Amino acid sequence: MSPDQNPIVELVGISKHYGATAALEGVDFACHAGEVHAVLGENGAGKSTLMKLIAGVIQPTEGQVRVDGQPCTLPNPAAAVARGLVCMFQELSLVPDLTVLENLMLGAPGTGLGRLRRDVVAPARAVLARIDGGHIRMSARVADLSLAERQQVEIAKAITRNPRLLILDEATSALNASVVDKVFAMIREETARGIGVLFISHRFHEIEALADKISVFRNGRHVDTFRNGDYGYGAIIGKMVGQRIDDLFPPKRSTPPGDEVLRLDGFGWPGGIEDVSISLRRGAIVGLGGLDGQGQSRVLQGLFGLLKGTAGEIRIGGNPVRIATPEAAKSPELGIALVPEDRKTEALILDQSIARNLELAALGVPGVAAEDPAIYQPFTDALELKCASLDQPVGQLSGGNQQKVALAKWLALKPRCLLLADPTRGIDVKTKTQIYRLLRQLADQGTAILLLSTDYEEFIHLCDETHIFYDGRIVRHLSGDDVTAENILAATMNMAVSEASHA
Amino acid sequence: MTSLRLSKPDTDTLVPFIGAVALILCGSLVYPQFLTLTYLGQQLQISAFLGVIAMGATIVILLGHIDLSVPWVVGGAAIMSTALVGSGDALLGAIAIPAALLFGALIGVINGFGVAIMRIPSMVWTLAVNSMLLGVAVLNTGGFNPKGEASATMVWMASGHLLGLPVAFVLWMALTAGLTLFLGRSGFGRYLAAIGYNEKATFLSGVGTPRVIFTAFALAGACSALGGVLLAGYANQAYQSMGDPYLLPTIAAVVIGGTSILGGRGGLAGTIGGALFITLLTSILSVMQISNAWRSIIFGLIILGVLLFQNLRRKAAS
Repeated sequence: MSPDQNPIVELVGISKHYGATAALEGVDFACHAGEVHAVLGENGAGKSTLMKLIAGVIQPTEGQVRVDGQPCTLPNPAAAVARGLVCMFQELSLVPDLTVLENLMLGAPGTGLGRLRRDVVAPARAVLARIDGGHIRMSARVADLSLAERQQVEIAKAITRNPRLLILDEATSALNASVVDKVFAMIREETARGIGVLFISHRFHEIEALADKISVFRNGRHVDTFRNGDYGYGAIIGKMVGQRIDDLFPPKRSTPPGDEVLRLDGFGWPGGIEDVSISLRRGAIVGLGGLDGQGQSRVLQGLFGLLKGTAGEIRIGGNPVRIATPEAAKSPELGIALVPEDRKTEALILDQSIARNLELAALGVPGVAAEDPAIYQPFTDALELKCASLDQPVGQLSGGNQQKVALAKWLALKPRCLLLADPTRGIDVKTKTQIYRLLRQLADQGTAILLLSTDYEEFIHLCDETHIFYDGRIVRHLSGDDVTAENILAATMNMAVSEASHA
Repeated sequence: MTSLRLSKPDTDTLVPFIGAVALILCGSLVYPQFLTLTYLGQQLQISAFLGVIAMGATIVILLGHIDLSVPWVVGGAAIMSTALVGSGDALLGAIAIPAALLFGALIGVINGFGVAIMRIPSMVWTLAVNSMLLGVAVLNTGGFNPKGEASATMVWMASGHLLGLPVAFVLWMALTAGLTLFLGRSGFGRYLAAIGYNEKATFLSGVGTPRVIFTAFALAGACSALGGVLLAGYANQAYQSMGDPYLLPTIAAVVIGGTSILGGRGGLAGTIGGALFITLLTSILSVMQISNAWRSIIFGLIILGVLLFQNLRRKAAS
């Protein structure tokens, strides 16, 4: 159990690039037997990329993977499993239409070409019984199970594959505390038998309770690895946050925001948001934060007429309104614009030219000369859009330039209220500064901006106030000096903040 | 890129025209009468029937959908118009053509409803509509050939001549030009291609996509109905399943004309070439002394050949 012994898996100088963006850059990393190794980092820090590399799902662009000290390639998950590297992914990897039994047998050791081994079933049942999953019938269809039950089956499946290294990527996100305790107890037992465990979790207390060793990742780089307990909570957050780039953001405005433009009262939707109340004033930038899928993006969709059957009230300029479709939302009476999350499938038509994309939102809006390129030019100039000509297909542009087109097409409508869904995700720093500068400029001119982001720097340096979502509700409203990295991170994990952090 | 303007023909659009000319020249080596004005005029006239139907199909295919109700909209419009004329009532006879066009547009609206509101794949929904139309027609006529006749206007539209050109051809060209102008100038044309490429992004741009889908299917239905009226005028009668031979050639004409079957890319100008090409190919194969089996095989091979050529050329260009 000494950390000096040969690691099970070792990564040497690993980089992984997706086009121009680097998900991992020059990473050295090792997992040892008999250890629980936690990986911490912000969204996009490269944690999942790391797990996928070790599990054989993706291949490194550069660098070497060593298993038991031997350089090797893991061309697919089966090759990783054959070497004892078993991963349980964030996106559940069970086949929904098959039964629990069939899923347990799929890909079990010794299975293949129509041969199914039933002897994995008994140990799997034993594992399920230990983690409060004894009630799950083997004949139940996975699609009929709850998310928590599916995670229990996943855990049982992973453990019955006799792993040497068990990789858990947010494996317990849907489980309640008592079940999680039982899973931990079992993991402890496994490590005592010499199995290594590598796990990602956004729940800090899970990491404190379970980890022997903690590695912190930031922006695709391995920042540090240390033993659990070596650093306090604040210091660990500090490592996750890293150095601030202060001139990334334009100075905040000093004048207070103006009249209320938009007000949400008790806004809800059966599919995942409840009792959300937000007030948005002229010239204000209000942040919406939280982990992925906590309801913040639903709020934007609801405001843009994309959700049916919403509860509560939306007021624009003081008048209650019903927003049924995006077409109604963009009408001059409401003046709402949404730049959606996924540039490539939602915001733009990649096969069409820049000119065609720019005019699509403005066409047919009264009083707007949609086909006149001049109305987009102030925005494409401010954002320094780089392109051969406006006839160039948008698909040929870089991600940052695509985002500029996605923004400019809406800004030409001069929206009263601009909804932005993570507009800087996966975008280089230079483009980010250009977008921040333009947003500040728009706010100064009176546009009200609702900014959903996964980058809390934006809440601290760009937003006037921030709402943090957890499980479909706003759990924390931060403004002024309360908007700190620590408070934001604590709220996204729905943890109480220690009094000391207010200092 | 989308080319909805006649003034800017791209290579995609030109290929079927070049192919059509090549067919005439090759054919004339064996049958010199192919180069006579009589034969060519006749081909233009027959192409118009396919061309008018394919014009509507192009609009729906640009949208990324397909209209398989073409055969019985054609047949239904023909039966309806000839029955109205055959009733002997002067007023009913006068409204025969508008009524048939309205019928086509109405079926288009039903198609649009299934696709835009019920979100049923157009391939399935329009096929079901086609089947129901067949049933309604059989119920109506008792399974016999429908009674009735074409009006003088219908006969003139299908077989008359204007300034030495077949009226059907002139009508086809005028409608294509009008529709091309409309698509080029209006938001509708832009929306059509945008939806064909990416319906979600178009909807999220605040476009009322259901309205566009309704309009496109209604236009297509009216075009198919006009095709039916012309065919009824040409044959001076309507008969059961007269639209059946038109479904696949219509789709072939659109795709050979450079419109992507997946939607977005293409235009009406290419479809003219596609309709001419298909009509000439059918005509030339039918005068050749070969068996029906070989005729079908050669027809299929040439269509595949043109499509492969278009694909390879596009790949080389990009």
